[in-house]
Amino acid sequence: MIRLLLSAGATLLLLSGCAGGRLRPLPGLNQQLNQLGQGRSPSLAGGWLALIAARGNGRVQVQLIDVNRRNPVPLPGLNRPDALPISVAVDQNAERLAVVRQREDRTELVLYKRSLQATQLLPMEPAGVPRQVSFSADGRVLAVEVSRGGLWQIDLLEIP
Amino acid sequence: MPAKALVLAGLLLAIGGCGLRRQSASPLGLNGAENREQPALSGDGRLLASLVERGGRTTVLLQERRSGKVLPLRHLKRHQPHSSPSLSWNGRYLALLIQRGARREAVIEDRASGALQPLFLPGNAEPRRLSLAPDARQLAVELTSQGSTRLQIYDLSGLLEPDLAPGQRESGGGPGVEP
Repeated sequence: MIRLLLSAGATLLLLSGCAGGRLRPLPGLNQQLNQLGQGRSPSLAGGWLALIAARGNGRVQVQLIDVNRRNPVPLPGLNRPDALPISVAVDQNAERLAVVRQREDRTELVLYKRSLQATQLLPMEPAGVPRQVSFSADGRVLAVEVSRGGLWQIDLLEIP
Repeated sequence: MPAKALVLAGLLLAIGGCGLRRQSASPLGLNGAENREQPALSGDGRLLASLVERGGRTTVLLQERRSGKVLPLRHLKRHQPHSSPSLSWNGRYLALLIQRGARREAVIEDRASGALQPLFLPGNAEPRRLSLAPDARQLAVELTSQGSTRLQIYDLSGLLEPDLAPGQRESGGGPGVEP
């Protein structure tokens, strides 16, 4: 009888695995995200969430959230009033954030180091227009979607 | 195309001063004249997922970053257009959006078991972008509904085994905590 029950249980588990899963929202965190305004371009790594949030007053900023503590972390020196962020990626220690942003008449890729509170411009070579970034979680490699010569290409940057 | 040719096709360039090394992702089409979009790296940086055109349909492609070798994806030859690929730490899981009928649907291919896991999002909002946590414990989803966009985080711990970095603890330290 016990063997029969175990077998039935295993079959049910298998079936539920194949049928897909209803996702369990994280209510406290999601409420916090809603308060930040309209969010887009999420990047999750190591208990951190980087995103671009547009508030009702029209300000669009890169935000970094500590997922476990559910609170935003300051990013001094990253958000500028004359820059519009387009894409963001974070590494697992939230030490490095890569941001594609529009500033004046150009689109640029910058690397922000949180411990230094400083941004470094990463020029596209050959020249191109960056659009989207992805970090490896260890923060060593950056993949950048670049428009170049009428094509979308992917540049891979190894960061020391 | 042989893997060696793919490696040669990748442009390697060292930039003096900041020590940045650049490489273009190995092109697949003639002379590299093919669109490659929405890159996503595995947590360890070993694998690269991106979107390419196959038979006029936007399809996800998984490659080894350094060699350009294309890796098979069992379930992702249909349900185009694909979008927003996202990889776990070792590349065991590939999350992405597919088209099933009139709906965009989030799915995860488990490359270890060969299973495709559909993810049923609560509510009627349309998913537009995904980010899978490298350990595969959480998924961030950009949702659109009636012209507004919002982000939601979902817990995957009941659905997937974690895909951890070597040496990372199974539990008890929280994501990203080294032993």
